[in-house]
Amino acid sequence: MNGIAGTRLTFSDATAKVGKWLVLGFFFFFTFVPLIWLLLSSFKTNLELQMRPFALPAVWQIQNYVNAIQISGLPRLFLNSVVVSSVSTVLTLVVTSMAAFVFAREKFPLQQALLNVILAGVLVPIIALMAPYFRLTNALKLYDSLWALILTYTAINLPISTFLMHGFMKTIPKELEEAAVIDGASFFQRFSRVIFPLSRVGLVTAGTFVFLFGWNEFIYALLLTSRIQSRTLQLGIRFFVSQFFTDYTSMFAAIVLTIIPSIAVYVFLHEKIIKGLASGALKG
Amino acid sequence: MFLSPALILFALYFVYPLGFVFATSTLDWNGISNARFVGLRNYLDNFQSRTFQISIRNNFIWVASLGFVQISLAALVAMILARQPRGWRFFRTVYFLPNVISQVAIAMMWAALYNAEYGAINQFLELLGLEHLTHNWLGEIGTALPSILIQQVFYIGYFMIIILASIMSIPESYYSAAQIDGANVLQQEIHITLPMIRPILVTAMTLAMAYGLRHFEATFLLTNGGPAHRTSVLGIQLYKMFSALDYGHANAIGGTLVIIGLVLIAVIRSTLGRHADASDMTQ
Repeated sequence: MNGIAGTRLTFSDATAKVGKWLVLGFFFFFTFVPLIWLLLSSFKTNLELQMRPFALPAVWQIQNYVNAIQISGLPRLFLNSVVVSSVSTVLTLVVTSMAAFVFAREKFPLQQALLNVILAGVLVPIIALMAPYFRLTNALKLYDSLWALILTYTAINLPISTFLMHGFMKTIPKELEEAAVIDGASFFQRFSRVIFPLSRVGLVTAGTFVFLFGWNEFIYALLLTSRIQSRTLQLGIRFFVSQFFTDYTSMFAAIVLTIIPSIAVYVFLHEKIIKGLASGALKG
Repeated sequence: MFLSPALILFALYFVYPLGFVFATSTLDWNGISNARFVGLRNYLDNFQSRTFQISIRNNFIWVASLGFVQISLAALVAMILARQPRGWRFFRTVYFLPNVISQVAIAMMWAALYNAEYGAINQFLELLGLEHLTHNWLGEIGTALPSILIQQVFYIGYFMIIILASIMSIPESYYSAAQIDGANVLQQEIHITLPMIRPILVTAMTLAMAYGLRHFEATFLLTNGGPAHRTSVLGIQLYKMFSALDYGHANAIGGTLVIIGLVLIAVIRSTLGRHADASDMTQ
């Protein structure tokens, strides 16, 4: 029995173990504790927030949430975000799956060059295009409407969604369409009856991406709308500071309410979301 | 005809805007009245402006912090979780959680945490008797930029997930062979894991650096570039110039962003992307 080697091994094992749990613990703390602080604070009075910051609320102030909904206009913000995100998702998927189908199946001059140009759009820092998007939206007479955001988000997601759909459609065997052609299917029918239904996985991947983009987008919501009626959720959050003024805990309640839908979806679908991301990463 | 909607949108929202940005970046123009051609003057003005210099420096700090620090941390955590310690699925789920919450909500939460009066961070320091360490985190020149950086860099979830997936696709036999040869955990990670995940690390770094270049939301909401422009980035400057109807200088910033982005990608590809091909075969 080699005593020295044995000790050394356990020593390094112990350090590694402590180090490992320190790292995991640190990131857990950083990710989770602020959220819990926000949640607990949202049930406190403003005095408690100052005086007893790390205690549980003495009385759980449900009133904060009532204030939050009344002051912030959350239902409208929420509805706008749902409309903008879903419509832009549907539009993006329709437009890019059609384009991806042509790129994956047809041959025409400059096809590869055209595809590359569209895919290169991924590299454009969209933030650099504030001025032209503002002018374009005005020229289309869409400024300060939900359509301004829907169209902008659809266009911004064109390259990434084309990339995902094209990558997916290339993996669908051509034989399936050939059978349909023999049965007399037209070009459009090949797309709508064969390829589109078979692309479900690709559509879900691209759709999730586009939906989350629309749900979380801030800069162009800020730039292309002005009235309260056309604000999305993310833009609305920015105005909480002025709306709630010094009623911090009601503002926290409003922020919590904006987070809840995302967390609820995540709690149910986290395995799927993580798996989808992971498999996308391996392919890309 | 199937292509036309995509092509029209692409022309309107990519081709025209890029042309517009570069064309107007050479003009002295407020967007309404007559424009005057000034060549590269706007670019020169920008590079001589102190605020622009601070902004571009900060963008590079963002690029480096996200591209190197955040990705290294994500890779470290991914390596730990790939060995499936107790509760690894739980940690994976929690670490990714902030990625499903919007940047805006996260930023508002951190504004509250950093707040000098009621923020949890100062209160926590006071609780520990460390009053002398309390700061007006977002209001002081020394602490503002680090505060915003930390708030982003430690959210490793997204990159951790894709790196973790890549590590877990490495065949188990590689590790057991190394174990028989007497390689310890650290040696295994350095000689097996790192080379195998190199392509995904390059991809992750490229993405993270692109985010660093485009950074806007958290700074806009936490400090709006203050105090004294110390946290400003190009996106914030562009927004301010554009709001002041200074199309020429604003779009010169936009043009600079596009060019830096392309150069950055070219540099990453040529320095780090070399070995990507060899490892692609394993997938």
